[in-house]
Amino acid sequence: MANTLRLYLTCIRNTLEAAMCLQNFPCQEVERHNKPEVELKTSPELLLNPVLICRNEAEKCLIETSINSIRISMKVKQADELENILAKKFLRFLSMRAEAFQVLRRKPVQGYDISFLITNYHCEDMHKHKLIDFIVQFMEDIDKEISELKLSVNTRGRLVATEFLKQFI
Amino acid sequence: MILLQSTSRFLLQILQGRVQSPEKGVDLDCHSVEFGDVRYHIQVSMKKPQVMVLSASLPIPPPEATFHSGLPVGAIEAIKAAYGPIVQILDPPKDGYNLTMKLYLSKLPSNEEQRQALLVKIASVREVVLGAPLRMVLKNLASKTVAPDVDQLVALVHRPKESFFLVPQAEKVTVVYPMRFQDSIDIVLATSFLQEFVEARRTAALNNAPPCMWSPSPPLELKGAPAEALTANAGFVTFVIFPRHVEGKKLDRTVWSLLTFHAYVSYHVKCSEGFMHTRMRRRVESLIQALDRAKPDTEKSKKVVQGKSFKRLSLREARGS
Repeated sequence: MANTLRLYLTCIRNTLEAAMCLQNFPCQEVERHNKPEVELKTSPELLLNPVLICRNEAEKCLIETSINSIRISMKVKQADELENILAKKFLRFLSMRAEAFQVLRRKPVQGYDISFLITNYHCEDMHKHKLIDFIVQFMEDIDKEISELKLSVNTRGRLVATEFLKQFI
Repeated sequence: MILLQSTSRFLLQILQGRVQSPEKGVDLDCHSVEFGDVRYHIQVSMKKPQVMVLSASLPIPPPEATFHSGLPVGAIEAIKAAYGPIVQILDPPKDGYNLTMKLYLSKLPSNEEQRQALLVKIASVREVVLGAPLRMVLKNLASKTVAPDVDQLVALVHRPKESFFLVPQAEKVTVVYPMRFQDSIDIVLATSFLQEFVEARRTAALNNAPPCMWSPSPPLELKGAPAEALTANAGFVTFVIFPRHVEGKKLDRTVWSLLTFHAYVSYHVKCSEGFMHTRMRRRVESLIQALDRAKPDTEKSKKVVQGKSFKRLSLREARGS
């Protein structure tokens, strides 16, 4: 299992390395505008083919590239209702703090759980390879955090139940 | 604190304070609200410092669990049996409360230990009043006397407009809780907690605990219950209490734990949400640190600046420069 995760993450990392060659590009239509083209999608010649990387049906990662920006959206595994609620809670928690993360998008792209938007400015301010490290670590951490949260809920439930039932003995 | 305490700390502290320094001539008028919509009001006037007036308001009962003159069945007898001559019940109770009683502090036993025990008992007035009908049923079970209303569904209030159900039988009492929660997250967490109850009961150490069942649909025991009692968004929990669970001293504890089962689960659901938030906050911090690692150090940054393209200035930045 851990092995397939590593393959998935390596694939994402390689794709990002290839895709993240961004340059400054002012808007073609409106003078003195400089916007992430991947969001506006004004001219098709500035967009590249999006790449969809799937680990399975529930876990996938969409990488959309344009000349001056790249958008990474991911869907997190949600096996049951508890994982679903935990993932929702945690990702909402992160999205609300998007300001602190800079590259995090406030709202995920439709059909995905969380999205990043990286522009050429981010690439200039930060080391590109470390930015990729961050994205990959982020993905790894989210999976880990959700399974740990689930485990802690179950452990707590067991403890609570045991203590309650012990009173009757 | 894993288990809920039956004594109200608020009442106990006021009582102890009064008993330890009775000569303090101060008027006292305090209100307090507890879980499950139980409210207390406690008054002492300067004129009669030895008399304390304690009022309690109980959750509003649903139609199937009726109160007799504002109190659960058998509550008055239970109060008299528990407190004896120190307490005088006022009829009618104060406006907005279900029970008002006068406590004569001068009649407290002089023995330190007995007095403390009685004060603790007074502070757990909630258990005495709300638990009275449940205690009656379980007492019948312990003494194996067959009550006249055997095999009939008994509804007891435990939260505002919500009740749980008892099916008293000669050799066992079945307790059914419809579990309802307001928040969608609460529902999911509570459901997984309740399933843990069933799992935990299966372990060898808890072989003698009451059998515990959870089902998303109403169990057969609730056949005669009104329709609105049969909707529960977190399923139904059933405990089967046998005489061995209520013998001797265990009775008090069993009454209290059964009475506050919903509050207990809901309390732990909230606790685990709080814990999750702490964790998530920590995780956000560690992720931000990971992002910070991507930023170049300050001395190196000069090199990076040269390669920087012109950035559109926002209004504030433009004004600043």
